[in-house]
Amino acid sequence: MQITERQIDDFKSDRKDITPPLPMVLRLVPLLFYCSIAVTVILSSIFAIQFQLAVQKRDSHKTQSASLVTQTQDARNQRTALEAQVKKATDIQNWVAGSRPLEPLLVEITRSMGSRSLILDLRLDREAENPSQIRMGLSMGTDSTKQLDTTVEKISTLNYRAFSPTQTLGRGMLDYKATLVYKDPLSKKNEEGSQ
Amino acid sequence: MNKIDLKSILNFSAFRSEPDDPSASWKKRFPSEKTVFFGLGRATLSWRAISRSGTPGELETVRADPKEALTQSAEHIKSLTEHGWCAASLNTRYVISLETNLSRRAGTGDMLKTNPRGVLGGRFERGKRYALTHNPETNSSILLTFDEDQIRKSEAMFSEAGLRVGRFCCGAYVLLKHALASLNTVKGSETPVSAFYIVCCEGAVCALVQDQDRWNELRSRTDVYEEDMTPITDLLAPFHSRLAPETGITLICDEPMEGLNERLAKVFPGRSINDLSQPALLANLMVQH
Repeated sequence: MQITERQIDDFKSDRKDITPPLPMVLRLVPLLFYCSIAVTVILSSIFAIQFQLAVQKRDSHKTQSASLVTQTQDARNQRTALEAQVKKATDIQNWVAGSRPLEPLLVEITRSMGSRSLILDLRLDREAENPSQIRMGLSMGTDSTKQLDTTVEKISTLNYRAFSPTQTLGRGMLDYKATLVYKDPLSKKNEEGSQ
Repeated sequence: MNKIDLKSILNFSAFRSEPDDPSASWKKRFPSEKTVFFGLGRATLSWRAISRSGTPGELETVRADPKEALTQSAEHIKSLTEHGWCAASLNTRYVISLETNLSRRAGTGDMLKTNPRGVLGGRFERGKRYALTHNPETNSSILLTFDEDQIRKSEAMFSEAGLRVGRFCCGAYVLLKHALASLNTVKGSETPVSAFYIVCCEGAVCALVQDQDRWNELRSRTDVYEEDMTPITDLLAPFHSRLAPETGITLICDEPMEGLNERLAKVFPGRSINDLSQPALLANLMVQH
């Protein structure tokens, strides 16, 4: 004979609304709920840390940007100051160039005239924008261009070079127009020396 | 689904049996909760704290009217529990009898609670609660009959003391079933068992004669003894002449009773005594099942 039943008989007045326990598989529901909370907390923490780092990075970039803007502004101011100096120097250079005396040029042109030539009109205009350049208009009473060559050669001995020369010959009269540019002999030497 | 349901799911209590669910074992109902196990006699109240791990503590006994004793000790006893849950062994006002030809159809266990008349037939009495253990080899059954009025009074008594009853059982009946299950372990009728079961539980005595798997005689009395064990031997002595010569004695008590084995040896000379008693045996069985 085998008697296996060991369950204890209960005589308590039974409650009507006793419900059986839920299946064990459904434990996954609260477990997943707690897991999701844990994951949410972890992700939120990571987000908060990353956000903090991003804010720090942004602030650092802002500081760097402000510093660079200041540097740029400084450089710009320096450049403006430099440009002002350059302008001043250019003005001085122009003033120096503009103040070069025309008398030697007039003397040399006059001396270059031969016995059979005479100066009818001589005009030397200095350009306001570019005082180193001199616009020359010369009317000579001559019957050949030889006199002109001599005159131009004499002018070149004074370190002036003629640009855009135009000449008109007719009835014993020669009109010559050119732009004379002074070439500093020292700078030429310096260039040759540097080469 | 309301807030309480949600809370019970989130704290996992919805996956455990309810504290007063009779179909679940005590351990499953209170997996890590301190509870108390009572023994309720006619003029005795005893209790034993059950720890969170299910280990019974020391037995405390008060020999007085149980209601008065419980009222006086309620605060102390409640401090032994976490939420006031307790189980009780009712050791008085019950009858254990041997019956034959009771219905064994499927579902009679549940039917015994809802419609006992359908199971017991003419043996049914109004105002009683029943439990049954069938002999698988014969048509006999052990029937436990409890007075419903006594159960209700006991429930009210515990409720007034601020305790919540999770289980009412009959200690002697539980021990008898345990002894039967311990000895009758082989299926079939090839190795029949003969034994004289003696059950002692807080003043109650139950004796069952099993001869070649047949249950021949059963006697059960409550409030038989207190300190003196003479009433036990006086109650059991008449069985000696009716027992087969080779039948041994199987003794089972809720607590080992000092000197009982010697007294039984004198009353039943020449018979082997198999003592299944262990300290806090009933409390341990109550926790395990």
